[in-house]
Amino acid sequence: MTQPHARATTVSAIALAAACALVLSSCSTPSPEAPQPGVTEDTITIGTHQPLTGAAAASYAPISAATSAYFDYVNDQGGINGRTIEYIVKDDGYNPATTQTVVRELVLENEVFAILGGLGTPTHSAVLDFLTDNEVPDLFVSSGSAAWNQPEKYPLTFGFQTDYVTEGMVLGQYIADEFPGKKVCLFGQDDEFGTDVQAGLELVLGEDGLTEVQTYSVSNQDVVAQIVALQSAGCEVNVLATITGFTAIAIGTAAQLKYFPQWVSSSSGADYPSLAGYLGEAAPLLLEGFVSDNYLPSASEEDNEWIALFRQINDEYNDGAPFTGNTVYGMAMGYLFAEALAQAGEDPTRESLLEAIRSGKVEGSGLVPVGLSDENHNGYIGAGITVVSNGVQAAIGKSWVRDGDKVVVFDGDPVKMPAKGIPG
Amino acid sequence: MSTFLLLLGAGLARGAVFALFALALVLIWRATRIANFAQGAMSVSAAYVAYLVLMGTGSFPLAILTVLLAGAAIGFAMERALMRHVPSRSPLNSIIVAIGVVMVLTGVLGILFGADYKPVAVPFSRQPLEIGDVAIVSPYTLFVFVVVAVVVAGIALLFTKTSLGLAMRASAFDDEVARLNGVRVARMRTLGWVLSASVGGLAVLLAVPTELGLSPHSGDLLFVNAFTVAIIGGLDSPVGAVISGLFVGLLLTFVTTAWGATIGPIAVLVLLVVVLLVRPQGVFSLRKARLA
Repeated sequence: MTQPHARATTVSAIALAAACALVLSSCSTPSPEAPQPGVTEDTITIGTHQPLTGAAAASYAPISAATSAYFDYVNDQGGINGRTIEYIVKDDGYNPATTQTVVRELVLENEVFAILGGLGTPTHSAVLDFLTDNEVPDLFVSSGSAAWNQPEKYPLTFGFQTDYVTEGMVLGQYIADEFPGKKVCLFGQDDEFGTDVQAGLELVLGEDGLTEVQTYSVSNQDVVAQIVALQSAGCEVNVLATITGFTAIAIGTAAQLKYFPQWVSSSSGADYPSLAGYLGEAAPLLLEGFVSDNYLPSASEEDNEWIALFRQINDEYNDGAPFTGNTVYGMAMGYLFAEALAQAGEDPTRESLLEAIRSGKVEGSGLVPVGLSDENHNGYIGAGITVVSNGVQAAIGKSWVRDGDKVVVFDGDPVKMPAKGIPG
Repeated sequence: MSTFLLLLGAGLARGAVFALFALALVLIWRATRIANFAQGAMSVSAAYVAYLVLMGTGSFPLAILTVLLAGAAIGFAMERALMRHVPSRSPLNSIIVAIGVVMVLTGVLGILFGADYKPVAVPFSRQPLEIGDVAIVSPYTLFVFVVVAVVVAGIALLFTKTSLGLAMRASAFDDEVARLNGVRVARMRTLGWVLSASVGGLAVLLAVPTELGLSPHSGDLLFVNAFTVAIIGGLDSPVGAVISGLFVGLLLTFVTTAWGATIGPIAVLVLLVVVLLVRPQGVFSLRKARLA
């Protein structure tokens, strides 16, 4: 006699077999127009989560506005392969719980083709698994955390920025070359941002290469204590792993203490127009000679073709909003997506989009190439050095790319712009 | 030595602003027995009005006058339009209403002014004065000290030497008895809100030039720190607010220098927990909190 639970097992086995047969039959005749989420005859819908309100909005809300403006420009020029790009921007207030809600809406209700440029380490970390489970391409995350570069665990997730460790290494290399024998110190954010840059610096300058390390917390905008500590440690070259506001506060506070070291900043907090906004009239004086790394051209550069185009798009499609590094960042990210989409073919699928990104043929619009491939999901692979001279922050033509625990000189040219800045 | 004096000055300056803001909380508590969770957002709103005046006229004294008046108007409106109608059976009611006000005000400020930081310039140098070769304290820090001292002295006089102050204390202590003695309790409560919102707005205006600038969230952290300060000092003690404000400012500054920025708030938290365990009514509270 058959035991009840054995009978149940038999039944479920039959059901399973039947289900398999159904699946197989549907697979055996692949329809050429398998419906892709977010893709219609003439549109592609993608989405993102951004802090449009709350404390982080001050720094980051302009990014998605710039990306949207770039897509509007592309759409007015006929779109990519005849399809216009619709970019849904949802506000998460930089709150990971809200990020989870809005990304679920984007995926399940709006049925987006892909997520582009989700902003923030804590926020985006909250939706990594959800996006992976739902097989949504998760492109060009706006954060320098190394967490996005785990192709085996998160095969659909790709970073955008040069990661913070690499930034630290590039800055360290420049300091070792240009300021030998000086006391080098670090003023960093008290999280992964600060510790990663510190790790990068120490890879190049040696374990004891930093004389003094001071940190700040975003929740406290008074940094007198830390600046006084750097000053009394005799620091001559201060590396900043700071977000823009704190770069300004550090330099401003030091100036009030009549302390004028060489400032060397990570790209995340080094945008000249933004810093000038915080520092006001004193900016040209305080920022002269300010060194930073960057993987994208700087917003205050006049004779760069990308900047000229982005500035024009900003005037026409973004109501002439202040043109800063955020604008360049947002548009460069839009361009990178457009490039991948153009290469994904006439009828893009999620798989063909990912294939295009992994092929290593997308180049971006930076001072160094993006190195996206099967193994590397990081984004830009190095950085160039920019220096402020007479109020203009411009690349000085020195760049490095990472090679394991070293950085090597990159002697290629910055990426050329295609006609009208539209890939295809 | 120079470093120590500089840090001392910086810590006291930060503490003075905490003290002023905590004083605003104490004022409302004394007048109404409400812990005003909307203090930050109300003060920032007043500071925005002052910011507009500062941009228009370029006069910092005028901005200070504006922030006091705007704060008073906001405090008045808040009490008359809202808080007066909240049932006082549970202290939770007013807290929930206040948190709602925070959301509305922060949202409206964001819509009107945007989320970005507006730098506020001050007519005083922030470069430290030097005696010999020793840098000590900046003129702006001195200015903050003077303003805080004037306000604290004014409030102390009001409460201890005037009949109005007596009436305010009476209505907070026992509103029924006060009413029987001819005190217009409702009016005293409104006055408490007006005073408190003025002082709070002033604290934000003084803090902003040393920070990134004015944004809808400028008051958030100030509120958290000042609330801690007010609890440590004793919610009904103006003297406690001032002394513990200065002390917390120093503590934050010296701990940050010695052990890093992450440890600063933890040190304040430890202090708060110790005070709550050892003396729950606050260090400077003379008697048990009167929950009349």
